[in-house]
Amino acid sequence: MKKEIAITAYKCKQCGKIHYPYHDRCLVCKGREFEKMKPEGDAHLLTYTAIFNLPWGFDQRFLIIGVAEFENHVKAMGQIKVDSVDQLKTGMKVRPSWEPIRVQYGENVYGLKFEPIE
Amino acid sequence: MRDVAIIGAGMIPFGRRDEDTLMEMLAYAALKALDDAAQSDTGHVLPPIDAVYVANMGGGMLQRQTAIASSLVDRLSLMPAAAETIENGPASGASAVKNGLLAIASGYYDCVLVVGGEKMREVTGWRATDFVATMTHPQAEYPYGITLPGMAGMFTRLYMEQYGVTREHLLAISLKNQEMGTLNPYAHVEMALDRDGIFDSPHSIVNNPVTADPLHLYDLCPVSDGAAAIVLCSLELAKKLSKPPVLIAGFGQATDTQTLQEREDPTDLKAVTIAAQKAFAMANLTPADIHVAELHDAFTILEIAESEHVGFFPKGEGGKAALAGKTRLGGQIPINVSGGLKARGHPVGATGVAQLVDIVWQLRHELPANRQVQGAKNGLTVNFGGFGNNVLAFVLKRVEQ
Ligand SMILES: [Zn+2]
Repeated sequence: MKKEIAITAYKCKQCGKIHYPYHDRCLVCKGREFEKMKPEGDAHLLTYTAIFNLPWGFDQRFLIIGVAEFENHVKAMGQIKVDSVDQLKTGMKVRPSWEPIRVQYGENVYGLKFEPIE
Repeated sequence: MRDVAIIGAGMIPFGRRDEDTLMEMLAYAALKALDDAAQSDTGHVLPPIDAVYVANMGGGMLQRQTAIASSLVDRLSLMPAAAETIENGPASGASAVKNGLLAIASGYYDCVLVVGGEKMREVTGWRATDFVATMTHPQAEYPYGITLPGMAGMFTRLYMEQYGVTREHLLAISLKNQEMGTLNPYAHVEMALDRDGIFDSPHSIVNNPVTADPLHLYDLCPVSDGAAAIVLCSLELAKKLSKPPVLIAGFGQATDTQTLQEREDPTDLKAVTIAAQKAFAMANLTPADIHVAELHDAFTILEIAESEHVGFFPKGEGGKAALAGKTRLGGQIPINVSGGLKARGHPVGATGVAQLVDIVWQLRHELPANRQVQGAKNGLTVNFGGFGNNVLAFVLKRVEQ
């Protein structure tokens, strides 16, 4: 079963600016009221990297991480499900999913993953 | 506001210092700066140290030691001087200096000691990488395994695509800074790089592997132990000393969003631009007046991007300028003559202070000819915290006695 993407973005009720992560005041107008929104649709890749010196807590050879923008303009970081950056290009379409991104205290931690759309 | 000068500067060699505790490193650097100021004080006019600001980012996490400044004044027998530890990520060093600067400028204190230090090599590489990554956003970034080199990789990709920066440009920074490191007895890495071995030859893929695509191993600074210190007092008092005072002519600090993706243009390091503009405005100088600069090259791309954002070169020209030798000793604007973070090393809490120490030596004309910028009068430093979300710049000026 596909899990729902458990990210909440915040749209400023005063000026419409979309924020993720949360800010107590709008980055544009300092407004304090936000409408909660979910990232919607597919996304396109803004930038990415492959990291070979991993931080403590990851038991793998490398990680491919990027930032993508959803169809409703929410921008977020996620791990990318490819074997090599050679399979990636900025601007390409990616499909988001909510999957385990690391293990902490023996439990899966869930987060965003992106996969290129053929 | 009173004018404030640097009257003492000291540093211990950066690198892997297994034999020293964090406190020992801080104390050794502090004593060097205090001795340097005392040497200059032939007329015995200097008052006692009123306050000590200690820059350190990781003592609590890496050494399980807190309240480091209180411990240091005890070791140095500086009681009852005021003391506090300043934590501002990799910009802790410059932040501590700023606190000293403001304290003297206000007239509240007369003489201040600033020490920065970090001991990062006693934990494994992946623990150190994790420690530095704790600066990232705790929900939106950190859980994904993003590292600071990873942030720099994503930034580099955008810079390459939008401004035509090439690996060749990045390489020019590594080669220059590591070459300068061989001349600096305080540098962590005293090994010149061979272009063929890390770029041209088929072996380069082994010698210089991708670490945070598109950045390679030699695009990154090392993880270091080290400490540096300076002594500050009013310019009025500094003029009574024998060594030429170095005036803190300008200072600027600015912040930006924590995540790159929330910046309107992620290649625009606004905090660098604003910090530098403020420092130049206060000093009443322009980038063209600067003779030597220490920029925060934790990653080669940062030296290029900062050289543009502080105003030495138009955006998109920094890489070409480096490749053309304009930022070498003897060039238009020598950058990181010390070897920078790339070769001197990057003990995070020490870096911002070490940059000032190197510029003080340059402006006092105390360095050997092979790394002295001839006749240097004005210098610039940029200390870059987080991924550009907290940046401090200083303009220093030699004052003729
Ligand atoms: Zn708003």
